Amino acid sequence: MEIKTAEYNVWNEGSTIHYEGTLRLSGTDAYQPILDLMQQVLAEKPQNVVLDLTQLEFLNSSGINLLAKFTIELRKHPDIAMKVLGSTKIPWQSKSLPNLQKLHKGVELIIV
Amino acid sequence: MTATPDTAPLKGGFLTSFRSKFIALLGCAVLASLLLGGVVALWNVRQLSHDASSEIETGLTKATEEYLSRYIDMTAQRADLMFARTFDQVKMLAQFTQRLVDDPKLGRDLGNLLNQDPDFQDAMVYDPVKHWLQNKQGEPSVISVWGYLLDGNGKMRADVADAVRDSAVFDLIAPSLMGTGQSKLQMYYVGPKDRPIMRTMPYSDQAQTFDKLYPGHNEQNWWDFFFPGVYEAWQGWAKKPGSRPVDTDITILAPYVDAITGKLIVSYFHPIYTKARDDIAGMVGVDITLEQLTELVQGVKIAETGFAFLAQEDGNVLTVNKPGEALLGIKQEDATGAGVTGHERSLAKSSFPDVAKLKMPTPGETIITRVTVMKDGKPQGLLVALRPLQAMNMWQPNVGIAAEHLMLGFVVPDSEIYASLYGAQQQINSATNRIVKGILASVMGFLALVLALSIPLSQRFTAGLVRLADAAGRLTRGDYDVQVPVKGRDEVARVGLAFNSMAREIREHTEMLEQRVADRTSQLASATDEIQRLYDKLRDENLRLGAELDVARRLQMMVLPAPGELDRIPDLDIASYAEPADEVGGDYYDVLYVPGGAKIGIGDVTGHGVESGVLMLMVQSVGRALYERGETDPCVFLDILNRAIFKNVERTRSGKHLSLAFVDYADDKVTIAGQHEEMIIIRRDGAVERLDTIDLGFPIGLEENIHDFLASVTLPFAAGDTMVLYTDGITEAESEDGKLYGIENLIASARRAHEGPAAEIAAAIIADVRRHIGKQKVHDDITLVVLKHR
Repeated sequence: MEIKTAEYNVWNEGSTIHYEGTLRLSGTDAYQPILDLMQQVLAEKPQNVVLDLTQLEFLNSSGINLLAKFTIELRKHPDIAMKVLGSTKIPWQSKSLPNLQKLHKGVELIIV
Repeated sequence: MTATPDTAPLKGGFLTSFRSKFIALLGCAVLASLLLGGVVALWNVRQLSHDASSEIETGLTKATEEYLSRYIDMTAQRADLMFARTFDQVKMLAQFTQRLVDDPKLGRDLGNLLNQDPDFQDAMVYDPVKHWLQNKQGEPSVISVWGYLLDGNGKMRADVADAVRDSAVFDLIAPSLMGTGQSKLQMYYVGPKDRPIMRTMPYSDQAQTFDKLYPGHNEQNWWDFFFPGVYEAWQGWAKKPGSRPVDTDITILAPYVDAITGKLIVSYFHPIYTKARDDIAGMVGVDITLEQLTELVQGVKIAETGFAFLAQEDGNVLTVNKPGEALLGIKQEDATGAGVTGHERSLAKSSFPDVAKLKMPTPGETIITRVTVMKDGKPQGLLVALRPLQAMNMWQPNVGIAAEHLMLGFVVPDSEIYASLYGAQQQINSATNRIVKGILASVMGFLALVLALSIPLSQRFTAGLVRLADAAGRLTRGDYDVQVPVKGRDEVARVGLAFNSMAREIREHTEMLEQRVADRTSQLASATDEIQRLYDKLRDENLRLGAELDVARRLQMMVLPAPGELDRIPDLDIASYAEPADEVGGDYYDVLYVPGGAKIGIGDVTGHGVESGVLMLMVQSVGRALYERGETDPCVFLDILNRAIFKNVERTRSGKHLSLAFVDYADDKVTIAGQHEEMIIIRRDGAVERLDTIDLGFPIGLEENIHDFLASVTLPFAAGDTMVLYTDGITEAESEDGKLYGIENLIASARRAHEGPAAEIAAAIIADVRRHIGKQKVHDDITLVVLKHR
């Protein structure tokens, strides 16, 4: 599955979901297709889910809300491990990603 | 489809069609070349005629001059011969007389002998009234004895009587001379000065005529009266024959009117010398009327009106015909001399300057001069040839004896000499005119032929173009089935092929276009319905959004502190700036007054719109309630606030959350709690402190219990210190080339302005952010709060 526009690209390879570009969608409704994609991956009941954010240059607060919701959702599936890949070069990631870990102790956060 | 004026075929006008232009061009080219040829031919003919004319003129002039020279030479020779014959007879008479003088005895004997014959006897009759003696009529010659040779009784002196008797010999010889040679008016003998008896043949009333014409002659010596100087000149010749001007004894008189005959006379005198040749013994003479020379001169005929004249050296014209006299502009003037009537008609007095200035030739030379005279009021060119005759001794009154060349003159009008030339020129002119007419006729004929040929020819040439033009016209009127018949392989044919191909393409395109238009029209019809439906929906949506926007704006207005509130904080100078991105922002800030301090909140709700606004209102309300309740622990404050918001978010299912941090100021200290952007403090001395709030809290509304994540930090905040609170709309503001403004720029900007009041610092930061954004879109709400310790 893949959601692609001129500004961003979100697709999954198995249970690894890649995010690329700039996500500046207006409101949680606008993020619904991406959330659907992520929940479909979750519906496969994989052993672990990887969110690769290393190529996501920008994510607005509604996008962060999306990640938080997904993390809270994942707390209901203790058997599924979750790994979040981030980059120190992108300012918002160091600032917001640690909250995901606070929401769900099972989140493995790798910011390189 | 109708033809527009621009594409309508032009009608009328001569040169609007290609064909008429072609014909006109051809006609002009042919006309120009023919005219050029004609002009060249004409010029050549004119040049030829001019050359020929001048050639003929030169030839004619030369021939005429040669002819005139020869003719005048010949005539001069004849005149000279005429004179010579008379001279010979005069000489013969003179020599006979001289013989008798040289032999006086013979003369006496001969005189006595003749006296015995009654035919030679002179019956002298004295006229007592006139006092002269003259023989009677009926004698062969008349002899006059003048009064001064007689005594009172009319008797001759003895020697005179002897002389009269001896002179009878004249009667013997003169008749034979009179009858031969040039016809003569009279011949005469005159005695020497001491007895100048005068015997003249034939007989005339000599003394009576003299009395009548020359009164006084009977009282004065004959010689001195009639020809003064002649006798004395001859006396000189007798002693010195070399002193004669011309080597002959014959002396002629300038032409004069004869006293006896009244005719213009030329007299030839020949002196008789004494036996010793030391004096004059008399003379013999012959008178010839000028008509005899005139006959010769006037016998000259040159061309039609050419004539001859005879003149003296000084230009006095002796003989000329009347038309010639008029042509030369001269006229007769009678001049009376001492003894005889002279004759004056000089060329030098001509009314025409050219004639008056005529140069006289020297002996043996012929001069041909071209002069211009006026005849009948028009200029007339004359060719005048002058040739002198043989030199003669001539006596003239008041001049004496001098050498004289009579002058023969020939005059021919130019027009007659060049008559043939003028004739030829006229013929050439008429020939030229014929050539001109011929050339014009051939030019016109050829032009007509060329035009006649060019019309069908041009029709052939332009037929293809005409067909193309017609076809193009049909195409313009919408007839896309049109095709041009193509003949040959020339450019027109190629255009025709291209045209056919284009016409086919146009037809195909047109047909396809029609099909497409039909398809699109039906698609459009259905799309229009859809659009109408969407439009209606959009209109509803817009109305709804407009209403929502109104509500959201009002909510924000309600939530944010009123301008006056900020001024109530004693220690703090607070300035704020808030700009929503497009609709209504999700940024939150608030300033609450606390006795001795203040509580400043800043936050950022995810998303925008009414729901975000309502969430802000809830945050503000709960915060205000907690503040009023007197809750001072910032962590407890946040924990209770989160629980309230979380439950409300759950209930409203808005799915939103917000970052939120509070700054509590009191007693030169600030206490910070809650998770939001980094806090920036610029100290009075410009030192910068950054406070990361990531571990001071957690997003509000996301998790029910965040107590474990809450913490607070207390920092000193003294006079001159500045604190900058902001939302990510500032740090993540994008420039035109996609660069984020960033916290470093924000700090630098705040630091540059930190010495001023809060409002100035805020304005400086916003100006810097604006400069960074430039023309780029503002993506997110921009909110800035600056606290400055007074």
